[in-house]
Amino acid sequence: MEVISKKIITPEKVITPEQLDLFIKKATAKLGEKIKELEKSKTELEEKIKERMAEIERRAEELEKSRIALMNILEDVEETRRRAEEERDKTLTIIRTFADGLLVFDKKNNLLLINPQAEDFLKIKAEEVVGKSISELAKISIFTSLSNFLGKKIKKIFREELRLKKNLVVEVTTTPFLRGKEKLGVLVILHDVTREKVIERLKTEFVSLSAHQLRTPLSAIKWTLRMLLDGDLGKITKEQRNFLEKTYRSNERMISLINDLLNVARIEEGRYIFHPTFIHLEKVVQSVTNSFKEEAKRKNIRFQFKKTEKKLPKVLIDEEKIRLVIENLLDNAIRYTFPGGQVTISITLGKKEIELKIQDTGVGIPKDQQGRVFTKFFRAANVMRMETEGTGLGLFTAKNIIEAHGGKIWFGSKEGKGSTFHFTLPFKSSKIK
Amino acid sequence: MPKKILLIEDEEIMVDLLEKKLIAEGYEVSVARDGAEGLEKMRKLNPELVLLDIIMPKMGGFEVMEEMNKDEGLKKIPVIVISNSGQPVELDRAQKLGARDWLIKTEFDPQEVIDKVVKQIGK
Repeated sequence: MEVISKKIITPEKVITPEQLDLFIKKATAKLGEKIKELEKSKTELEEKIKERMAEIERRAEELEKSRIALMNILEDVEETRRRAEEERDKTLTIIRTFADGLLVFDKKNNLLLINPQAEDFLKIKAEEVVGKSISELAKISIFTSLSNFLGKKIKKIFREELRLKKNLVVEVTTTPFLRGKEKLGVLVILHDVTREKVIERLKTEFVSLSAHQLRTPLSAIKWTLRMLLDGDLGKITKEQRNFLEKTYRSNERMISLINDLLNVARIEEGRYIFHPTFIHLEKVVQSVTNSFKEEAKRKNIRFQFKKTEKKLPKVLIDEEKIRLVIENLLDNAIRYTFPGGQVTISITLGKKEIELKIQDTGVGIPKDQQGRVFTKFFRAANVMRMETEGTGLGLFTAKNIIEAHGGKIWFGSKEGKGSTFHFTLPFKSSKIK
Repeated sequence: MPKKILLIEDEEIMVDLLEKKLIAEGYEVSVARDGAEGLEKMRKLNPELVLLDIIMPKMGGFEVMEEMNKDEGLKKIPVIVISNSGQPVELDRAQKLGARDWLIKTEFDPQEVIDKVVKQIGK
């Protein structure tokens, strides 16, 4: 408009009405064009806005999706955490309420955890001991025996007995816990066996007492029968003698059974080895061997004692008990070897010990039963069919006697071929229990 | 004169058997049923040998030997212990108290008692 007015007022140029008219027309046309352009831009703009809106909506949707996904993840994490907590609580409840005392040590042997049962056994509070090392714990008086028992590095222990205090005997087991091959720590289990020990002692006392009580009438029967048989109480007929002799032998078997039971009771009471003296083992072997010669001959068994040419040192042994071991082994060898077979006893000198070997060509021990040979009352199935006699206490007694002398006893056997029993006795032994 | 033996034993049948066996061998036998009675008879009869059981009512065999050791007159009477148990602890104690010999009833025959008696004091 300014342009128009300028032109109108310019004095040098006079605009004619036609010109003006043309000018107005042109201007109007231009204006129309501008308006059109403007309208076009407006439409374009609107289009763009629409697009943007769509875009924003799409983004919002995506965001919403992400939000839901995140929420789900969070819920999962929560669930996992809850489950882990549950698991932890479960484990803790087990540890806390477990009847055995439990102690957990880390890989540096510092105490991580102690359960209430162990607190009770040791009469100690967790807060006083948790975090301390095994060597520090050794300084606490009630812990001393346990610490010493476990050792500074907490050695591997499987069910070994430990008297923690006067009225508490526990069976200790240690077991490492691992992640792959890496050791994370050690679990120490204290199992209370006080009651079992008391029962065991009562049982042993009972056996001991009843065996003693049984011996009195058995000796009365023995002596009466003997005097009847010796004719001290008058003449007897042949038939009477026959019966009396059989009764006498039955009674002798009963006496030997009672004696075996008493020996076992004494072993279990831990007061069996009594009289250790320095003696020559071969003399004992020779004497026992002599007493079996007749029996071997009667059964037509070749019986041989192979001595060593080396000079054997004396051994510190309870002669009576070692004699019993040799008797038990020889008795088995001869009893379970058929006529025509062979029993060989040999003695050899080792570096620190004397070894005795008793080899037979007898029935042998079935493979599936060999693990139980030295257990109390064990009798192999094949020999039970042969002879009903035998208490199954001989080898149990033998093992206990040899081990109490610091020696070892073992065997090799093949059913139908024979058995070889070995034992060793150390000759510098001061280790008599 | 037959030699006098004092048998101190509470088990009736054992007394009967031993008494019969010893008399048959020509000994004179007196019997006491417990340790206290045994000591009393020992003083009265002055036997040449005592056969002594260990477990008895009132006073056992060990106490009897302890009492004998306190008495100069009784100390020199030889004692053979007849025990039922034969536990090394017991035999050891009997020996320490001065028993000349011992035997375990279940492991010996009556004839062996006689042999041991003869060994100590002769026929």
